[in-house]
Amino acid sequence: MEVDGASTSNGGASTSNGRANGGRSRRTAFDLFKQQQLPACKPVLTPVWVITAFMLIGSIFIPLGLVTLHASRSVVEIVYRYDAECVPKAFRGNKVSYIKNGSIPKNCYRSLKVHKHMKAPIYIYYQLDNYYQNHRRYIKSRSDQQLLHGHAHYDTSSCQPEEYNNGLPIVPCGLIAWSLFNDTFTFIRGRAELKVNRKNIAWESDRDHKFGKKVYPINFQNGTLIGGAKLDPDIPLHDQEDLIVWMRTSALPSFRKLYGRIEEDLEADDVVFVTLMNNYNTYSFGGKKKLVLSTTGWLGGKNDFLGAACIFVGSSSIILSIVFMLLHVKYRR
Amino acid sequence: MVIRKLNEEIMLYSLVFSFDFALMCTLAAIGLGTLCFIVRTKKFFNLTATKIERKYCGFATEEQSQKGKSDHLDVDFWNLIRCFPIFDFLDWREKAKKMSGWDRFKPSRSRLGRNPTNMDQRTVPRTVTLGRVQPQAPSHRTIYCNDRDANLVLRFKGNSISTTKYNFFSFLPKGLYEQFRRVANLYFLMVSILSATPYSPVHPITNVVPLSLVLLVSLIKEAFEDWKRLQNDMTINNTLVDVLQDQRWECIPWKRLQVGDIVRVKQDGFFPADLLLLASTNPDGICYVETANLDGETNLKIRKALERTWDYLTSEKAFEFKGEVQCEQPNNSLYTFTGNLVMENQTLPLSPNQLLLRGCSLKNTQYIVGAVIFTGHETKVMMNSMNVPSKRSTLERKLDKLILALFCTLFSMCLIGAIGSGVFINKKYYFLGLDKGVEDQFNPNNRFLVALLTMLTLLTLYSTIIPISLYVSIEMIKFIQSTQFINRDINMYHAETNTPALARTSNLNEELGQVEYIFSDKTGTLTRNLMEFFKCSIGGEMYGTGITEIERGIAEQNGIKLQEQKLTNAVHEKGFNFVDERLMRGAWRNEVNADACKEFFRCLAICHTVLPEGDVSPEKIKYQAASPDEAALVIAAKNFGFFFYRRTPTAIYVRESHVERMGKVQDVSYEILNVLEFNSTRKRQSVVCRYPDGRLVLYCKGADTVIFERLTVGNDNLRKVTREHLENFGASGLRTLCLAYRDLVPDVYESWNEKFIHAKSSLRDREKKLDEVAELIEKDLILIGATAIEDKLQEGVPNCIETLSRAGIKIWVLTGDKIETAINIAYACNLMNNEMKQFIISSETDAIREVEERGNQVEIARSIKEEVKNKLKKCIDEAQQYFHNVSGPKLALVIDGKCLMYALDPSLRAMLLTLSLNCASVVCCRVSPLQKAQVTSLVKKGARKITLSIGDGANDVSMIQAAHIGVGISGLEGMQAVMASDFAIAQFRFLKDLLLVHGRWSYLRICKVVMYFFYKNLTFTLTQFWFTFYTGFSGQRFYDDWFQSLFNVIFTSFPVIILGLFEKDVSAALSKRYPELYKEGIRNAFFKWRVVATWAFFAVYQSLVFYHFVNTSSYAAESSSGKMFGLWDVSTMTFTCIVVTVNLRLLMMCNSITRWHYIGVGGSIVAWFLFIFLYSGLMTKHDRQENIYWAIYILMSTAYFYVALLLIPVAALLVDFIYQGVQRWFFPYDYQIVQEIHRHEPEDSRTDLLEIENNLTPEEARSYALSQLPRELSKHTGFAFDSPGYESFFASQRGIFAPHKAWDVAKRASMKSKPKVSKKEKH
Repeated sequence: MEVDGASTSNGGASTSNGRANGGRSRRTAFDLFKQQQLPACKPVLTPVWVITAFMLIGSIFIPLGLVTLHASRSVVEIVYRYDAECVPKAFRGNKVSYIKNGSIPKNCYRSLKVHKHMKAPIYIYYQLDNYYQNHRRYIKSRSDQQLLHGHAHYDTSSCQPEEYNNGLPIVPCGLIAWSLFNDTFTFIRGRAELKVNRKNIAWESDRDHKFGKKVYPINFQNGTLIGGAKLDPDIPLHDQEDLIVWMRTSALPSFRKLYGRIEEDLEADDVVFVTLMNNYNTYSFGGKKKLVLSTTGWLGGKNDFLGAACIFVGSSSIILSIVFMLLHVKYRR
Repeated sequence: MVIRKLNEEIMLYSLVFSFDFALMCTLAAIGLGTLCFIVRTKKFFNLTATKIERKYCGFATEEQSQKGKSDHLDVDFWNLIRCFPIFDFLDWREKAKKMSGWDRFKPSRSRLGRNPTNMDQRTVPRTVTLGRVQPQAPSHRTIYCNDRDANLVLRFKGNSISTTKYNFFSFLPKGLYEQFRRVANLYFLMVSILSATPYSPVHPITNVVPLSLVLLVSLIKEAFEDWKRLQNDMTINNTLVDVLQDQRWECIPWKRLQVGDIVRVKQDGFFPADLLLLASTNPDGICYVETANLDGETNLKIRKALERTWDYLTSEKAFEFKGEVQCEQPNNSLYTFTGNLVMENQTLPLSPNQLLLRGCSLKNTQYIVGAVIFTGHETKVMMNSMNVPSKRSTLERKLDKLILALFCTLFSMCLIGAIGSGVFINKKYYFLGLDKGVEDQFNPNNRFLVALLTMLTLLTLYSTIIPISLYVSIEMIKFIQSTQFINRDINMYHAETNTPALARTSNLNEELGQVEYIFSDKTGTLTRNLMEFFKCSIGGEMYGTGITEIERGIAEQNGIKLQEQKLTNAVHEKGFNFVDERLMRGAWRNEVNADACKEFFRCLAICHTVLPEGDVSPEKIKYQAASPDEAALVIAAKNFGFFFYRRTPTAIYVRESHVERMGKVQDVSYEILNVLEFNSTRKRQSVVCRYPDGRLVLYCKGADTVIFERLTVGNDNLRKVTREHLENFGASGLRTLCLAYRDLVPDVYESWNEKFIHAKSSLRDREKKLDEVAELIEKDLILIGATAIEDKLQEGVPNCIETLSRAGIKIWVLTGDKIETAINIAYACNLMNNEMKQFIISSETDAIREVEERGNQVEIARSIKEEVKNKLKKCIDEAQQYFHNVSGPKLALVIDGKCLMYALDPSLRAMLLTLSLNCASVVCCRVSPLQKAQVTSLVKKGARKITLSIGDGANDVSMIQAAHIGVGISGLEGMQAVMASDFAIAQFRFLKDLLLVHGRWSYLRICKVVMYFFYKNLTFTLTQFWFTFYTGFSGQRFYDDWFQSLFNVIFTSFPVIILGLFEKDVSAALSKRYPELYKEGIRNAFFKWRVVATWAFFAVYQSLVFYHFVNTSSYAAESSSGKMFGLWDVSTMTFTCIVVTVNLRLLMMCNSITRWHYIGVGGSIVAWFLFIFLYSGLMTKHDRQENIYWAIYILMSTAYFYVALLLIPVAALLVDFIYQGVQRWFFPYDYQIVQEIHRHEPEDSRTDLLEIENNLTPEEARSYALSQLPRELSKHTGFAFDSPGYESFFASQRGIFAPHKAWDVAKRASMKSKPKVSKKEKH
């Protein structure tokens, strides 16, 4: 048996010697691929590279952070929480019954002091806390088709439980619309009322493509339970910007929504009197309501986070690079 | 062990069955099942009907049909109905019964290969089955030979076979069914169904799209593979065979063959179906059959036709043959066959002796004529065909654990969310409208139900945590790795045999990177089985200037390149590779010890048992030797001018070059008086001859130990020098023999001869007596010298083994050879050296031999076991001293098959394992194929290490299948090993490339791919999870449906495949230069729980960064227009950051970044932006994306977007970057160190091919190589004189009685046939 093996192995070798492939010298790109020799850059993360990279990150982010932080710091913002104060003392013990009682006037007068010059436009926001606009039941309770095309043609089953009222479909249907925020604010400086521009507070894309120009509120807030604001049935949804803003649901349970703009500068030490209608019920779930007056910079409203984060990332990079550099000098490999 | 396996099998059956059932229901639920079921049932019914028809109604109907053909079709319907349910049941019961019993044990043993020492048992008929046990049909079949019309009515199956898994119609249902057997797919199917319910926060599209894409890719792959199988089947079905038609042999394809046809099969041809042998060109109707494809045995089996049919050999004659075969129904028992041949009113019994099975091939027979009995799928081999269970890589099994961990994470996440939702839900949130008609999920009155349903909701929401495309991506990567990289690697291409490497399975690629134990066959794998006369020592002078592989290996290890002297006029033929001008062409006459030379050559020419064959000329003569060593020695004598050309029973004729006159030759005949045979106890062989001049000489050759103790006193110097030479030879891995002679005085001889004749004719204990007599004359020998034969190693073996052992891989040699040979090869391969502490457990001890002679089987077994036990204990005790000692010698274990049999006993197994795992190298010799498999699985299961078996022959099949990875040596004849293997390479040395380069890379890549998948899905899902906390645990989705569904399949899928294909830590050349890098794979350094935890940490960190950075920074207005972002703007922002970061993270983990990486990563990010630009701008009347509409444009209109997009990915990756920097700096992996060492070297593919020339003269190089050899007194001299079956071969030559062993006949036959074959090849 062993003889056999020897004879064949030898024979095999000699007969096929000439068969070796001649065309193999040509190395195409595909050959390089198959031989796994594609040209490649081989980044080796040596200490020098690490230090350089950290320096680079630091040198980009510290200036960026400073600029960003400056933009945020130059924004003047007045935040005023009014939900507790605007309840008459008599009702402080039972805020829910106060808010639900339609017969009690909800007017509330407050004054805000401007501590710094605010340049127009000054944006008015209302801020709600602990309000789950992103709850699954809430967020899906709307009919986009209806908002755009009106009630006639579209299925509103997604609007549960605010779908029908008295056997008639509601336009706009759904919980979101039903719970429309209905506190109102008017501002007086000195003697003169500050004009609040409530137009153009929603994104154009929402206004133009999501809310129909010929869709009018029907049968809205006619039920036994009133959730929030009523809508003027003569104004098409397209022009109900409060609704449009409200319907762009927020990401977090604590959110601000644009209410309007004051298109006059406010000087430092100005006192602004606010007349607000404290209609909206956040008392049942303990949510806060705040009024926010804010200017904007190129980066939007007051938000130090971005700048601080940039500076943090940048400075920690620089610190690390220094630490690494020291290590590198001390324990040179 | 086997029984446990069987139990597992049974459990598996039932499991699969119940699983199938459950699955069918699920499928049916989604509508696909209906289709599937219909097709399956229909097919099953058809199949069963035909089966039953034949089985239960077969014989009766056949008889009926003879009466009237119309009756045949009218199968007893009631019978059929009655059979139908029972059939299945019976089948099952039968299976269970057979599998549980011991009769199942034997068959399954045969699957692993049989012990050749048990071969004589084969004569006892027994049922040997390889695969599933088929129910035996109660009736038999009748075949009308040479009469197609008569057979037509019986409707035998055709001879075409189909091994495809699917056909056109069954592809979809069956393919889908196969896919859903994967847990991940099934899970996604369930989630998809769940997401169609109102509980789902996501649109079904989220889960359906990835699932269907994954299924699509898998199905395309399946279809492609099945297509290849179909083509393969077609090739087989279209093979041509000669069939008798109208007195002529017609060539028809196999598939058109029918039962009853008369076929002619020529030499080396394969039988197209199970045939009844009618006639053969050999006398006595004998033919030789190779059954290697069936049972892996390469020796030839004899089949003999019935005497009555011998004449039907020619087409004219065969045409007259009319016979009726009544035989059993098709079954899968390979060694049984019963039937009758009815011819001219004579009934002749048929036995397996007349049956030629499909798959076997005809040898040593010009052609045979046979009648087809079983065809196609009814042939025994096809009924035995079993699905080789596909091996899964260890990493993949670990991956399952990871997936399981992910499932656990998923459930705990869901649980947290569910509990949260139960707690959260409250009527006080009046804006949620919880007062009237609330659905169950949000009903505050039943918080438990809320939690339960939210659990379902969250399950669908977080489904992305399970990386659905992981498996399919890995499959794709591995497929390309094996087909494009391994199969096309030029470094593994063997030009001489034109064989590239072949990855036969693609799912074990990364396993190649973790191999710790290699089990290697010797013959054909490590060695070429080519013995060459290489060196010799004559009269104290060493001759031969060649350098063996091992010397070269050692020299290379020390950085010296040896240059071999290539003489153009050097004589080199098969078996002779000797270079030394001092001896060649008669130059030996001028040597100082010319007389010794003369004796040396004469001894070579006379003292042997070789038979010359063919023309009497030095060029053309062929030597028939039992062992290639002997042939090499005789060839050497021929080349030295002592040409042995003829043997008669009493004389040997040698054509000697004239002693005095150069160039003259003279024919000398030496009378052979006695031949004292070689056997394993004597370890020597002597011939007493009489010169024509009357001189009486005894020539003896044998092992150095044996010869040296029989030398005459005096001449110690020669002895010493020769011994030194022997040690040198041994250390160089050469096989040595000592030659000696003794001049006899006629009187002494005559008296001895009488004793010899007496002993020879004795009836009892003849061999023992012969040995004793031989002792009397084999003494006072005069030493002539020693020969050194190189058992030619395969190219590059020592170097490869050395490299592999540096890589931390332990290599075990498992061989059927004798212990000496095995040790020799171990030396030659660098596996063992003299510095090692060797433990030898051999059955060749006096104690055991003594017991064996007494012949009591029980006692033998008991005492050997005891002996082995003691030996093992002793070895372990001794080894214990070295275990703790780092600087101590390495250990080596040598054990032979007989001892191994007992050592593998459950009681001793643990000891064997402890001992062998502590040995640097282990050599098992004289082991059977079954033992090879047992040793392999001992390490595989006992030590839980990853094993690789490599072999070339049928006897390695079991071992190849038992190991984690089986590697076959391809390119030579004999494909059994290759067919059973997972990878096939042409040379052992390619193992280096396969493991160190491909395996290592593959492991690295797959680890990275898995980790990356894990990381990206976890990161993505966790952002979703954090969001859940801020939505009142309502299960609101953070992302748009399409974001979620395309995240895995489009935005992050391509780069990871690039990573899986192109990732390279160090170049191929460096991988081989630093084999130590491989140890990272063995330690599984890249896929530990620690690594998983690191990645998980970064996933958590990054997800927190994404979620909180975006949400916190988008709190106030983000543009000067004062307008606010909504949920979808925030989520789009987050998603953008994730896609960018996750893709950049991929670049960070790459060690080699090609253009494809840039395209992949850049492409993915661009794909996301393109998608979102289109998607958020989409505004058709019916398909409006209210949520996302214009979101990206709103985002991009703010400065915030750009600042955040710069900040967030950097912030997320910063910690990773710090980690990477610190890790590389302070805790570097080995590969990172190598990377840094060779950082500045351009990677040139050719550097490894260029060899550094150094200018040593051959002499210097040689002496250097020799100086590198171990200096200390060698224990090993390399004696080997080995040939299985040698003794009986020689005995039969001399006409001496020797017990006739069953396999001898076949072996002889196979020996004779070979010259014929090789001649043919040359023509």
